Amino acid sequence: MNYILPHTWSGSIQTVTIGATKQEGGTRSVSYEIGGDTDLPFMNRSGKKPLLAYEICDDTAIWPQVVRDAMPKGISDPASWAAYGEKTLKPDCIRLNLTSTRKPNSSDFASISATVQSVLAATTLPLIIEGSADPAVDSEVYIRCGEAGQGERLVLGTAEADRYRSVAAAAMAYDHIIIAQTPIDVNLAKQLNILLRETGIPDNRIIIDPYTGALGYGFEYTYSTMERIRFAALKGDDDLAMPMISAPADSLTVKEIRESDSPSEIAVSWERATAVASAIAGAAILVVRHPGTVLPLRTAIDALWEGSRREVSDGA
Amino acid sequence: MALKPLEIYKLLPKKNCKECGEQTCLSFAMKLAQGKADPASCPYLDSEAKAALSSQTGAPIAKITIGMGSRMITIGEETVFYRHDKTFYHEPAIIYRVVDTAPAEEITALAARIREEKITRIGIDLQVNGLAVDLGSGSLKQSVTAVTTANEGGDIPLVLQSEDPEILKACLAVCGNYNPLICAATEHNYRELCDLAKKYDAPLVVRAPDVEKIGALSKECMGLGIKKIVLDITGADSGEYLSRATLVRSLALTRTAPELGFPILLDCSGSVPDNIVTGIVKFASVLITPQLPVAEMTTALVLRQNIYTDPQKPIQMTPGLYRIGDPGPDSPVFMTVNFSLTFFTLQGYLEAARVPCFLLIVETEGMSVLTSVAAGKLNESVVAEWITKTSLADEVNEKKLIIPGYASPLSGRIEDATGWKVVVGPRDAADIGRFLTEEWK
Repeated sequence: MNYILPHTWSGSIQTVTIGATKQEGGTRSVSYEIGGDTDLPFMNRSGKKPLLAYEICDDTAIWPQVVRDAMPKGISDPASWAAYGEKTLKPDCIRLNLTSTRKPNSSDFASISATVQSVLAATTLPLIIEGSADPAVDSEVYIRCGEAGQGERLVLGTAEADRYRSVAAAAMAYDHIIIAQTPIDVNLAKQLNILLRETGIPDNRIIIDPYTGALGYGFEYTYSTMERIRFAALKGDDDLAMPMISAPADSLTVKEIRESDSPSEIAVSWERATAVASAIAGAAILVVRHPGTVLPLRTAIDALWEGSRREVSDGA
Repeated sequence: MALKPLEIYKLLPKKNCKECGEQTCLSFAMKLAQGKADPASCPYLDSEAKAALSSQTGAPIAKITIGMGSRMITIGEETVFYRHDKTFYHEPAIIYRVVDTAPAEEITALAARIREEKITRIGIDLQVNGLAVDLGSGSLKQSVTAVTTANEGGDIPLVLQSEDPEILKACLAVCGNYNPLICAATEHNYRELCDLAKKYDAPLVVRAPDVEKIGALSKECMGLGIKKIVLDITGADSGEYLSRATLVRSLALTRTAPELGFPILLDCSGSVPDNIVTGIVKFASVLITPQLPVAEMTTALVLRQNIYTDPQKPIQMTPGLYRIGDPGPDSPVFMTVNFSLTFFTLQGYLEAARVPCFLLIVETEGMSVLTSVAAGKLNESVVAEWITKTSLADEVNEKKLIIPGYASPLSGRIEDATGWKVVVGPRDAADIGRFLTEEWK
């Protein structure tokens, strides 16, 4: 008997291109097309392999202790950190988290431009930027990021339901991609995408961040929300058909790690398992912080999805 | 395809005799459709209708047990493809493997680890479930000795891994009465193994190179009267497993292929941590793995607990007054809802902030802050009620309550109802540290 899956799908995931090579008007060595999938994640090797992003920041004060302890010596600034990441860990992209903007009354906007430019110069990979989280400074921060990365097709985060205009304006003005984050809820994700569309952001410039709860502390909500978003998209709901990003950073600050005798070991295990489960639920970009997670996560993703990554251009 | 209640009702006698235990034939039909009743309970069904109903009702995935006593493993009985459609019922068993050439002390130590090691989360003990003995030595004596050692105590569920009927026969003579999982029948040995499984009434794994052949073999075993089957669909890597598991689960749930309506086994040896994660989130019921380091074991057990939590029953905290660190009369007092996720998140950030404080948890039926504010479950009377119940006023010098940022619309009403001064805290628990150092006091 020949077994055939009893379901068919009418929808597919929106394709989004991130990064821009020389031919595309940027300076990246590579750009990626994510999305485009027409089935459940990893079914029969169809669809695209998720991208791995290694996350760095410009102020380690609020970075998880276990990650700070694992940082290689000699990294003094985001640029050298990005260069180390690209060379040693070989991720697909770098995510720069502008943690300096989370300080109260942060106003050093000039240094934001400089940081973004230095990181773009230090790495050839497409760049994701996590900016401020305060409406008072959002506008200044996102304009600086957008401007500094003009032509590079950055991924700019994060738009939320009550503060999306600044990041949307910067993404529109400088031709970048936007991350739309909602707190683990399929309906809120849909609403925010509709709001962004109304501001003029086309669907192929939106990436959904359904928010990744910590393993052991509500990750199951994230997992199911991601499955529901993917299912809705395959059923033909265009408002939820954007690719998803998952950043299991919360899994690095849990009690189990803080109280462990070997925190690094459990942090890597925790972050990696969360990322793998998110990938199976449908995440197209996996963002990790612990340097020890990147290589094993690569192995895991390769085992789930054999074959080469489809790249838009080799950027020769 | 699964029958709907009315389609089932048409096949019933419609006598409303109550002999099945239900009040009406229609309610019996509803129960049958949900897989919660047995067609055999109706004494008036003709054999044709009974056969039709038997193949179309009942759990689409058979219930199987492994082992006996307090550590007995129950798997199967799953009814949905996505956990958000209802829930996943029986957690996958994690089974540590040992080779039969291992020294007896090693086998005993591993059994002891499985017996004793546990982590406790939200009041629930999480444990690895059983022991698989790989009978690959080729020596009957060695295999029997290893199984005898593994079965000392008779409490740890066993999996006997061999395709050799003679070795399995000898080992079952030692432990067959303890309901071990026989692993595995192939197209070459299935007749002998079916005889053994029937003799001991033990569950049997079927193994073949692809899903079509696994289905065909399962059908053969069913034809020989075997009802307790586990399907070994381990593929070349986690990706192949995932495709196979998706196919098997779908065909089982839609009753398209009754021979696939059994729990799934995944041998995780290839790339252990990734296979375990894949198996836990996607449909495995038995995971066989080399013994895990504590970090990997904890991750697997916690992920399993997360995925098998009933999405319709959020885990709730008992309302009351909780203490972070060792708070005194001048420590801050935070208030939030009794949704476990909110509690744990807030607790984590408060601990990290290293400022001793009180945490008042009020009853919102397990709803989050946003939801409970919208639904009216978090309101000024419930806050007043829990301030009184916990005698909070006796704990602190100043009546000052920090409420979640998303509860800010309630701040005035809480002040009026309680007489406490309300301070609106951050919306995001991640900002608590900053809030405590900069805005508090």
